Amino acid sequence: MMIRLSISAAALAGVCAASLFATTVAAEDLTTDIGTLDKETADKVFPSKPPYSPYAGRNFPTRPYFGDTHTHTSYSMDAGAFGARLGPKDAYRFAKGEEVIASSGQRAKLSRPLDFMVVADHSDGMGFFPQLIGGDAGLLATPQGRRWYDEINSGKGAQAAIDIVTSFGKGQMPKGFPTPGTPAYRSAWRETIKAAEEANEPGRFTAFIGYEWTSNAGGNNLHRNIIWRDNGAKANLIEPFTTLPPLGSPNPRDLWKWMAMVEEKTGAEILALAHNGNLSNGRMFPIIESFNGKRIDREYAENRTRWEPLYEATQIKGDGETHPFLSPNDEFANYERWDKGNLDLTEVKKPEMLEFEYVRSALKNGLKMEAELGVNPYKFGLVGSTDAHTGLTAVEEDNFFGKTSSSEPSADRAMHPFVKTDKAVIMGWETTASGYAAVWATENTREAIFDAMKRRETYATTGPRMAVRFFGGWDFETADANNRMPARVGYAKGVPMGGDLNNAPNGKSPSFLIAALKDPIGANLDRIQVIKGWVGKDGQTQERIYDVAVSGGRKIDADGRSRTSVGSTVDVASATWTNTIGSGEMITVWKDPDFDPALRAFYYVRVIEIPTPRWTAYDAKYFGVKMPAEVRMTTTERAYTSPIWYTP
Amino acid sequence: MLFAFYGFVGKRNAEAPEKIVVSASRITNLGDGFARTWRRPPSEQELQGLIEDYIRDEVFYREGRAAGLDRDDVIIRRRVRQKMEFLAEDLPEPSDEQLKAYLVSNPERFRSDDQITFRQVFLSATRRPNTIESDSKRVASVLSSGDAAIDTAALGDPFLLGDEFHNVSATKVTNQFGESFAKGVFAMDKGRWQGPVSSGFGQHFVFISERVSGGLPPLDDVRPAVRREWANTRRLEAEQKLYASLRERYEIVVEAPPSKAASAENGR
Repeated sequence: MMIRLSISAAALAGVCAASLFATTVAAEDLTTDIGTLDKETADKVFPSKPPYSPYAGRNFPTRPYFGDTHTHTSYSMDAGAFGARLGPKDAYRFAKGEEVIASSGQRAKLSRPLDFMVVADHSDGMGFFPQLIGGDAGLLATPQGRRWYDEINSGKGAQAAIDIVTSFGKGQMPKGFPTPGTPAYRSAWRETIKAAEEANEPGRFTAFIGYEWTSNAGGNNLHRNIIWRDNGAKANLIEPFTTLPPLGSPNPRDLWKWMAMVEEKTGAEILALAHNGNLSNGRMFPIIESFNGKRIDREYAENRTRWEPLYEATQIKGDGETHPFLSPNDEFANYERWDKGNLDLTEVKKPEMLEFEYVRSALKNGLKMEAELGVNPYKFGLVGSTDAHTGLTAVEEDNFFGKTSSSEPSADRAMHPFVKTDKAVIMGWETTASGYAAVWATENTREAIFDAMKRRETYATTGPRMAVRFFGGWDFETADANNRMPARVGYAKGVPMGGDLNNAPNGKSPSFLIAALKDPIGANLDRIQVIKGWVGKDGQTQERIYDVAVSGGRKIDADGRSRTSVGSTVDVASATWTNTIGSGEMITVWKDPDFDPALRAFYYVRVIEIPTPRWTAYDAKYFGVKMPAEVRMTTTERAYTSPIWYTP
Repeated sequence: MLFAFYGFVGKRNAEAPEKIVVSASRITNLGDGFARTWRRPPSEQELQGLIEDYIRDEVFYREGRAAGLDRDDVIIRRRVRQKMEFLAEDLPEPSDEQLKAYLVSNPERFRSDDQITFRQVFLSATRRPNTIESDSKRVASVLSSGDAAIDTAALGDPFLLGDEFHNVSATKVTNQFGESFAKGVFAMDKGRWQGPVSSGFGQHFVFISERVSGGLPPLDDVRPAVRREWANTRRLEAEQKLYASLRERYEIVVEAPPSKAASAENGR
């Protein structure tokens, strides 16, 4: 079994000779002056004498809540076909930290409960699987239905699942496929709502009502998850929007119309978040709309930014922050790449598609489009989520229950193809044990978490629960990194992640208070980086990376980069690592050295963990199997915050 | 279906003549089903038609079964299984007594958490890589002097999530500091500085100012949760019980294909 060595302070002192990060050294030099500086700061920030209780009047978020906005259960047609037997109720129980029996018959439990979750089953064919496996006469009267049914019952569920997904992508579903308005559909939606209502415990665990709108025209992924702020009474007034015409549509514009209708007719508040641009073959963040071949117009931009405040940047089907082709100078860009083709691998990837698939390039193009349209269509915050089709939101490297029930832990799951066509193959080992959504909400309720999502005060993690703070303003100074209450200074002098900066004071550059705390049971941190994107005077988009805090006394060079690797303590054979490198916490104040007040820009933070064993290493150890040479056995987990935008 | 099911299992080996009883409650059910679909009760004639249709179903069902049509058909097998499991799930609304009994016999599930309010002096392993041990001793001696005028906050380093934690449960403390820290702190007395306790971040001295013991709340406070857990437990029990009682009626013989059995033996 794995051994995680938590190290004593003495050991740490011995190993990490110098102070662990340069910027803190700078801040610590001022230690004797902290009192003075602090007081000045406080006086400026709180002109009148604050109340005795430092908590009085405090209404800012004090801790991040971790959750998953994207878990599928047996109610999703493909999940069911892949063998998922756990429904929404089981999924919520598992997220709350209870032990459940996975569909493969194994016992499963999280290391610690999550704070919130959305069961997001596919709206198309919701309840299809229970209907199919129940032998619905109408479905079995069709050749397709009959074939799938027989395949599932003869142990070829995975084959049936691929065929179901592919047929669905081509709009070739059999007659009798459940659609909104049919009793089978209605009952599946009611069950979904009921499971969320029962699991929701304000203050302790938030169970959101939601679903996934799985637009997949031509096998190109334009999927979105829809989340309700409200309770079942309002969600029950409507049935989900699907993608199959005539009731549904695969065009996001029609989804947004539907969302507007729902808000107007039911008084509910809902939001949508897309995912897996990496499998959209150039269609997730378009400049030219794939549905009409025209340039994105203002109406599209307004609706997208209104209804889609967040994007799911990392999940089991690969990481979507950026790609080495787009960010050739980014040493951390080549992370859990899925760039062979679209979702069902019916069309291979071409390099020119990548720009319209990844977070960073979309944020950059958004700035450019804003100059043209007056509205930025791609002004979104970031979260991670699992997209697990098992009912199990389990994406820790040592506790990864896979993408589908057929890829729950087993000796050979890594070497089973996940998708295989005549064009390409994605192997089981390429699935990524990622991610979770972190939300800075004032309390653990549907309302508070939803509101924080709307204001984009969120970040994505690839699994670990690190705490990450990111504030931007005009007046942060080095001493703020030593303030006793970093959050209070942050909110008082700036805006949090997801916010906006404008009206640059004369001669000032934006400054940022940035902090990260490792997952209390996880690995140390390697570094914190700021990623800046902007549109130059020539109208071209640009990006660059700044290392703003690095562990182990490494130097940050004059160009803002630290090119020395943190090293690695991973022992792949035993699937262990030690926290003898890296740092448990980092805090710094960083000022943009290259600021031009005339240019649109965004800034977001990336926190990188020290290397740790990848789930494939835990599998190899536990099952005693040898992985082929091409299988990655280590990982560097990370967090991505929502950006802060500067608009001239 | 219930009727058909009991007819089925009850007469498995009986030689008695077949008899189809359409009970008064069955007729009511048929009428209700009609009303749900058509939003009005059936007319006399329609009801007669429903009854005829039911009898027709039943006759075909029994004859089909007698002819063995159900035996090798996976559809029927699956549907019957689903139906049986569904029966097990169809639970009556529990009484207060049942819920109270469930609450008392499963206290660990409903117990409200112990909560503490504490403040800390934090020594950062990152900021004090070489001096944390000696600094820790110095802080310990200052704190043990018990001088109320000491500005304790100034003794340590800032912590990203703050220095004061109000009404936090062990779960919350675990999520923020890790398990061993949470265990250590929850074992402490209140009203004086104690520590250091280590975490992945460094060392912590802790002053617990308040401790609220959790306990078993009255049913009214946790009724939805108890109802949910009760239903879940009963569902699993009922499914298991029904299956066990039905399974008892059979002698099960599983014939393994010889090649597989052999390879299983050689497998180790």
